[in-house]
Amino acid sequence: MIILMVILLLILVFMGLPLFIGLLAAAMLGLYVNQVEFTAIVIEIFRLANSPVLLAIPLFTFTGYLLAEGNTGARMVRFSRSLLGWLPGGHGVVAIITCAFFTSLTGATGITIIALGGLLFPMLIAEKYEEDFTLGLLTISGSLGLHFPPCLAVILYGFVSGVNIEKLFIAGILPGILIISIPAVYSIYKGKKWNLNRPPFSSKEFLSAFKEAMWELPIPLVIIAGIYSGLNTATEAAAITVGYVIIIKTLVFRELSFFKDLPGIAIESMKMVGSILIIMGAALGFTNYLIDAFIPIKILHFLEGFIQSRVGFLLVLNLFLIVVGCMMDIFSAILVIVPLIVPLAARFGIDPVHLGIIFIANLGIGYNTPPVGLNLFIASSRFKRPVVHLYKATLPFLLLLLTGLFIITYFPALTLFLPKLLMNS
Amino acid sequence: MLVLKRIDSILKKLEGYLIFFFLALMVSLTFLQVCLRGLYTHAHIHWANTLMGYFDWSEPFVRLLVLWLTFLGASLVTREDKHIKIDLCHHLLSPRLLLIRNLIISIVCSLVSGIMVKVSLEYIKMEIEFGGSMFLNLPSWLGQSIIPIGFALIHLRFLLDTIIKGRQLFYWKKQ
Repeated sequence: MIILMVILLLILVFMGLPLFIGLLAAAMLGLYVNQVEFTAIVIEIFRLANSPVLLAIPLFTFTGYLLAEGNTGARMVRFSRSLLGWLPGGHGVVAIITCAFFTSLTGATGITIIALGGLLFPMLIAEKYEEDFTLGLLTISGSLGLHFPPCLAVILYGFVSGVNIEKLFIAGILPGILIISIPAVYSIYKGKKWNLNRPPFSSKEFLSAFKEAMWELPIPLVIIAGIYSGLNTATEAAAITVGYVIIIKTLVFRELSFFKDLPGIAIESMKMVGSILIIMGAALGFTNYLIDAFIPIKILHFLEGFIQSRVGFLLVLNLFLIVVGCMMDIFSAILVIVPLIVPLAARFGIDPVHLGIIFIANLGIGYNTPPVGLNLFIASSRFKRPVVHLYKATLPFLLLLLTGLFIITYFPALTLFLPKLLMNS
Repeated sequence: MLVLKRIDSILKKLEGYLIFFFLALMVSLTFLQVCLRGLYTHAHIHWANTLMGYFDWSEPFVRLLVLWLTFLGASLVTREDKHIKIDLCHHLLSPRLLLIRNLIISIVCSLVSGIMVKVSLEYIKMEIEFGGSMFLNLPSWLGQSIIPIGFALIHLRFLLDTIIKGRQLFYWKKQ
């Protein structure tokens, strides 16, 4: 009877049952079998109100939505274009860097493609980049920059796994740079091959673009500097950033009106927060059951039967996370999968910080993986191309990103070098 | 049916106002806290510390707001049917089968959220009787009351959705 219910629930979850309802139902089934009161779920949900770390999530999400309104994107594009446009393939590099900047601020929510796609697509086409190259580049660009502060994915991973968030952000710097430099180098290579027009560097244009962008440009740097110097925690950085962004958007640029625009943006961003954190609440209830029922240990015993080595485990993990990342969005994947994987990884001697960086890189790639990767669908509706066309356009980039993932996964020193150097105290 | 829709649209407005109000409170209180703490620890200004003493309730309060915003936001998301889900068969079903599937999902959602309303109400009843107090000596159940309220809002939306889809399917058969 119970097994039948579990199968039925699994079918429903894959057929479009809201994930938080699925998790609540799963927790109820588990508690029912163990004869525990359902109020245990309520107690777990209330844990959402007891974490200073979670406070960073509504604050950063609101910041991201504020930045997505108005002309921040255009200013960023203009600035990086004046800085890097002269490179061969430079406009591709411009697109990659601006998107990474935006994604780290808004999280992997598809906002990047929607907010910047309309700006970058015509720019690249006008510079005579091949259409397929442009489409592929812009599709994957929604999942670049996930490792940089203040990306929500990293904060969530830290909360769920119990790893220090500041440490994760510092560990993510080098892998994050690797992930964006691989497609950037590819763009330079293509730019050279196609012999594209290269506008000369103009210091006048650079200065004027810099003047325009100088209010928003330092935001990620200030967050990194604050966290790295130990001056503030991620949550405090979030409070400062949101205050700063409200001031520059309403008073300096006067793009947003305090009473006319801010309430709407607040509501939109809190819908996003609500849809993630309600899953987190339900997931807390469910994983609590899993751990009480020793499920991770049972999975471990099962896996130990045919995986013996670290590399074997990592390989299985990579493949598994690509499949997960292509079906689920990054936030729910972290909430549901991380509690199961962390004890397994510890058994195979994988550093929890390294695991977090692998997780995020891996899920980001899953976003672009056919047949159901989320970015492919967002790009398909944004650029009005059939999804199958985007599979083809994205393929070379996907292979490149997989190389990056390979390096991040099997060379842990890349991830662990900076935190060791900077946070030895 | 019409009454339910009216209630739904009034609630939507109310939820919107509350979200803006709570988020504004959250942003200003955390911003203030960070500024005061910065002034005290880095510039050694003593009145900042004294002032912080008056705001010692703001940290647990702001954390509680995270929970309130979560449920209010989730309720609006339910209303628009935009919850995060995995949908592998959307493109494979005919319009009629799709409607039947959506109806089944709505029923399951109403059921699960209904159980959550009941369970969290029981929990709050227990808290009213035996629970302690939180910041400013307020009873702790007051802060937790958003859990039954939130699930009730979500439940109402799923119920409304079930009725709408049920009707659509009913009239479909007649055509």
